Amino acid sequence: MLEIVDPGLQTTVQDYPGRLGRQSLGFFPCGPVDHLAFRAANLLVGNRLGAAALEIPLGRFQANVLHAGTIAITGPETHLTVNGKPVSLWESVPVKEGDVVASSVIRGPGYRLYLAVAGGIEVRDAFGSRATHIVAGIGGFDGRALERADVLDVVATNEPARRKRLPVSLRPTYSNNWEVETIMGPHADPDFLTNNDVEHFLTATWRCDLNSDRVGVRLNPHRFQWARETGDVAGGHPSNVLDNSYPLGGILAYGDVLTILGPESNSSGGFAVIATIPEAALWKVGQFRPGRDTVVFRAIDLAQAAALHDHVAQVLDTRHLDRSGNGG
Amino acid sequence: MPAIVQRRELGAGRPVVTYRTAGDRAMLVEYGDAYPVDLAVNFFVHATASHLGTHPVRGLFEIAPGLRSLLIYYDPIVISQEKLIAAMDDHHADIPEPASIVLPSRQLRLPIAFDDSASREAVNRYRITIRPDAPNVVDGNNIDYIVRYNGLANRDALYERILGTTWWNAFSGFYPGLPSLLPLDPRSELIGPKYNPARTWTPEGAVALGGPCLVVHPIESLGSYQIFGRTLPISHLSPRRVRAHRIDPILIHPGDRITFTAISEGELIELRRQVFEGRYDYEIEPGRYAVAEHFAVATEPAVVAEAGRRRAARAAAQQLVKIP
Repeated sequence: MLEIVDPGLQTTVQDYPGRLGRQSLGFFPCGPVDHLAFRAANLLVGNRLGAAALEIPLGRFQANVLHAGTIAITGPETHLTVNGKPVSLWESVPVKEGDVVASSVIRGPGYRLYLAVAGGIEVRDAFGSRATHIVAGIGGFDGRALERADVLDVVATNEPARRKRLPVSLRPTYSNNWEVETIMGPHADPDFLTNNDVEHFLTATWRCDLNSDRVGVRLNPHRFQWARETGDVAGGHPSNVLDNSYPLGGILAYGDVLTILGPESNSSGGFAVIATIPEAALWKVGQFRPGRDTVVFRAIDLAQAAALHDHVAQVLDTRHLDRSGNGG
Repeated sequence: MPAIVQRRELGAGRPVVTYRTAGDRAMLVEYGDAYPVDLAVNFFVHATASHLGTHPVRGLFEIAPGLRSLLIYYDPIVISQEKLIAAMDDHHADIPEPASIVLPSRQLRLPIAFDDSASREAVNRYRITIRPDAPNVVDGNNIDYIVRYNGLANRDALYERILGTTWWNAFSGFYPGLPSLLPLDPRSELIGPKYNPARTWTPEGAVALGGPCLVVHPIESLGSYQIFGRTLPISHLSPRRVRAHRIDPILIHPGDRITFTAISEGELIELRRQVFEGRYDYEIEPGRYAVAEHFAVATEPAVVAEAGRRRAARAAAQQLVKIP
């Protein structure tokens, strides 16, 4: 139903929660980096929250509509148009054959747009998910980012199109200077980090390296003191451990460079993960602008993570949508 | 909130268990202490994973092994961290001491061409585009470096060690289907320091050594392990995969055993062609592995003595070799 005119930087088909249950074989889950805006886009077009939709980094994108339907675009503020006329984000938008949907580069805070189509994007299931795994070349559209002239099918739906809108009060706010909740461990103090290291980790302002993507977000280098001399048999640097499977959202100490493991990271390796971003805060990482944004980490415990989870679930509660008549 | 939640002594020849918080949806369960790679600990990891597979815990939805750990994903709405630890304690009580463990384990035989042209091409590209003065690259090759780093006499001695043991898949990870193999015979132990910085290109099918592990690259990718040969494709992820891989696109599973047979590069190319044409049947025997078999060999005094001599020779050799 969509014919790609300008695929932008690296637009991919994703679903949520991605490819679960196969990490023991080396698959990291994939799926959207910002699961909140992704699911909200599906919510607005009446899909299952995890249905296949597009992730558009940087915001630039253009497509021709080949069949009438309903779309919704969520994420940071940008210039969004249908046939050159401005339309709003965070609302369902009826489209008809021949329409041109376009969005421009995100100038302000935030980094990724999500575009859902009523019915969901129809691509082949690969190992239990439709999420694109670019590194392995599987899932999504032919295992790759979209290119000009790709035609995306949409799962047929009989649902009547309804105009829906996520109230402004529930929309996430984006920033250039993020505060992100984190849970210390698995490899933190006292056997890996000193108290000073933990304090530094939690008080420093970290900068997102330009070299950041779905695989990971690199932060500026810092030399920790470390609570041990070396990694022993695993390697010379104290961040070396015998290889482990990594948790999604883990903050990896790759030597002296911290990296937040993205949904398309390698699934395991031999470095300490000093902290892990709780599931409900992971969406923020998807909106970090590489080379520009900064982040401060705030330690929370499991009870606080559960409260955060409830808060995100509230946003995605369909009862909170504003409705206004029949569209499309 | 401390990263270490609990530590438990299991006793009776079994490893100590450390439970570590890995966010609000995962827990890292580490076995043993941070001593050198110990296969007995890895067997215990697999026995626990296997036991969890046959005796599921409600709320626990994914288990991913490492060399001496299990990463466990759980749903905190269904099971709290505290209850998950209690459930794991119960499971550990049911795992026998390592020498009595019997695991599901298939045996696979893979052909290998040592010092093949694709591996040489990868090393050569590295030399030209990444690091011309890398101490591990000599004459467009890193095999002689592995030989020197392990205190071996020559390349044939290296190849004999690789061919002379059964390799145990301690865990799969990094890329889809990538096995990390350890030798079941301690006399075949090898160590390889990693490239610094990493290679930007490694051919699919490349076999390489990093730390104590031998890996097979399932896809064209980056790589930092010392590369020494090439085998058949081990992951067929494309939807257009060949007949042999339609049921299970991942050839080597955690806990499988691999032996290598040396062939010429010409023969390997012919076999790879047969794979792509759907005419090759991989040699796979289903079965189980009694860990006692490993201990019977590994604890034999002559084997222990020889493994010790080789380890000492390696330690001495490493003093003379530059780390990349």
